[in-house]
Amino acid sequence: MKLEAKSATQSSAAKIKSKTYTYPNSQKLFRQALKVIPCGIPGHFSPAPFVPAAMYPFFAERAKGSRFWDVDGNEFIDYMCAYGPMVLGYNHPKVEAAASQQRQKGDCMSAPGKIMVELAEMLCSTIAGADWAFFAKNGGDTTNLAIMIARAATGKKKIVMIKGGYHGVAPWMQGYGHYGVIEEDVANIIGIEWNNVKQFEDAIAADPDGIAGFISSPYHHPTFADSEFPSQDYWQRIRELCTKHGIVLIIDDVRCGFRLDMRGSGAYFGFKPDLACYCKAIANGYPISALVGVEALRTVAAKVFYTGSYWYQAVPMTAALATIKELKRINGPALMNKIGKKLFDGMVKICASYGYDLKVTGAYSMPYVRITNDPSNMLHQEWCAECTARGAYFTSHHNWFVSAAHTEKDIQKTWNIVDDVCKLLKKKYGDAF
Amino acid sequence: MGYDFIKSRLHLYAVLQNIEDLVQYDEEAKNLIKDWNVTIKFSVKNSGKVYLIFENGKCTVSENSSRKADIVLYFTSPAHLNKMFDGKANPIPLKGITKLGFLTKEFPKLTQRLEYYLKPDEQKLKDNSFVIINTVMTLNTALFALKELLLFDPIGKHIAKKIKGSMLMMNVDKGPAVYIEQKGNDFEVHKGYHEKPMAVLQFKSMKIANDFLNGKMDAFSAIASGAVATKGHIEWLDAVSPVLDRIALYLA
Repeated sequence: MKLEAKSATQSSAAKIKSKTYTYPNSQKLFRQALKVIPCGIPGHFSPAPFVPAAMYPFFAERAKGSRFWDVDGNEFIDYMCAYGPMVLGYNHPKVEAAASQQRQKGDCMSAPGKIMVELAEMLCSTIAGADWAFFAKNGGDTTNLAIMIARAATGKKKIVMIKGGYHGVAPWMQGYGHYGVIEEDVANIIGIEWNNVKQFEDAIAADPDGIAGFISSPYHHPTFADSEFPSQDYWQRIRELCTKHGIVLIIDDVRCGFRLDMRGSGAYFGFKPDLACYCKAIANGYPISALVGVEALRTVAAKVFYTGSYWYQAVPMTAALATIKELKRINGPALMNKIGKKLFDGMVKICASYGYDLKVTGAYSMPYVRITNDPSNMLHQEWCAECTARGAYFTSHHNWFVSAAHTEKDIQKTWNIVDDVCKLLKKKYGDAF
Repeated sequence: MGYDFIKSRLHLYAVLQNIEDLVQYDEEAKNLIKDWNVTIKFSVKNSGKVYLIFENGKCTVSENSSRKADIVLYFTSPAHLNKMFDGKANPIPLKGITKLGFLTKEFPKLTQRLEYYLKPDEQKLKDNSFVIINTVMTLNTALFALKELLLFDPIGKHIAKKIKGSMLMMNVDKGPAVYIEQKGNDFEVHKGYHEKPMAVLQFKSMKIANDFLNGKMDAFSAIASGAVATKGHIEWLDAVSPVLDRIALYLA
């Protein structure tokens, strides 16, 4: 069946068909949570950035494929994919079978499972330029390890990062002004603008012998702002400067990793990082992250003491191996970008038919999406909330994620919801936007 | 900028402006000033100045005035002003010596009334009319203080760089509102509603606003539970949250 996104005129004057969800159980559970957990749900899963929070589910009950169900029984096509980790679909049979098999044998033991070696070999053979792999749990574990290695390797202190870039929640990553972060935590962090090689040159000129590392995502995907790809030759020039001045080039591929290219985002943009951080997409939801690096940094990486109680769990490693094999088999990044392109091209067309400009930036597999008509973002926030309350889980401030499990049926249903919500907003606001 | 300097700016520009609302909402204060026709200038060396203009039963608090001050209260330093607010020092009257009676008898009645509303306790908070006035004042104090902190506090200045072009409004649903707008390198604060705010933090009720602004409720819990609603450029609201929390470092 060939799917096409119908414009408002094509879909005639059909009435708004979809009903909105309610969340009494989520709300009740949240009130319960507030009594025993600071702010109920902390961190990036906090409902606080949802606008309005009351139109979003707070707690999930179960998930399968591209969808999840909340504690009120509402079903959502998930365009956040657990904020990235879900890449093949929730409860993917191959991944689950492999994980289950390993679980029978052992998971958290007094020595690593043999699977760790096989997984490292897989990463080294998959990611361009990777000569070794180190495993941890979260993306932030690997970005932090990366700068420790950079400092140990160079004997320098300073780290250059991109303003608005996100590398986790350690104090140096959060920036001065955030709760619990003191000036000393960021004393050796230099923030520069994305795509601005001149500022990097200036930073080097200001302290030629002081910069240990340059860390950045492969393209700029901040929250609350459009994503931006690197300008032509940007990465090549950054690579040259790093090589010339003995600066370790670190790519935070936690979000983009295996959503742009199985060879890594360095290969996608045509440059070779010294260290690359992976997490979200590598194990389809199982807790594991990996830092991969070049031969020249192997010995230093071996010297940096860095570990955690659960970093050697065999089950997540097995899940990662199964996930990567499956992603390679189906060429996951290409598939996700193909699905995303179809989905978002259709949504843009539907929105345009109502006079709404839906801007899609970044890769189709993880784009930042927003309606630009209202500079305050309130229209966009309302659009996201109304779509979510009808079953298409959209957040308004963070990039979305597409998985290999999103189907034609999901796309069609999403288009229908988008059409309904655009119709609703048009009726409510007329030509105000 | 030092602690005393910032604290003095908060006293001058965030605390004293509450007299405008005090004489509007509090009957006792309203009666007290109904016949006043006087302009009082607070002048603080190495900090700033502010005029309290009383006329026609109203008060206007402003950094500048077309009217000449009838009384000038001078403070030799920011610390001097701060000590006066702590009840440990007196100003130096440079002008208006003939109005000493007013200064020592009438004006203190008004400042005592202001102090009454700015220092809530459990007993006072059982009175709904107190809650309303205290909330209005706390709301306004928050944004007027925010301006000073964004300009002078070390963390505030750092945050100010991240919210270029910001405009955010705080209001109680069907109640008072105040907004702050960035203008170049400065900020302007206005009482009342903005026609098209870019970021909004709205409290469901006076009680919720009071609890929130007095640190009895954290923002994440309040927003998720629906007690507080945010919309628009919520990243700006998020960014200034730690700055708002710093008001207590100076005014507690």
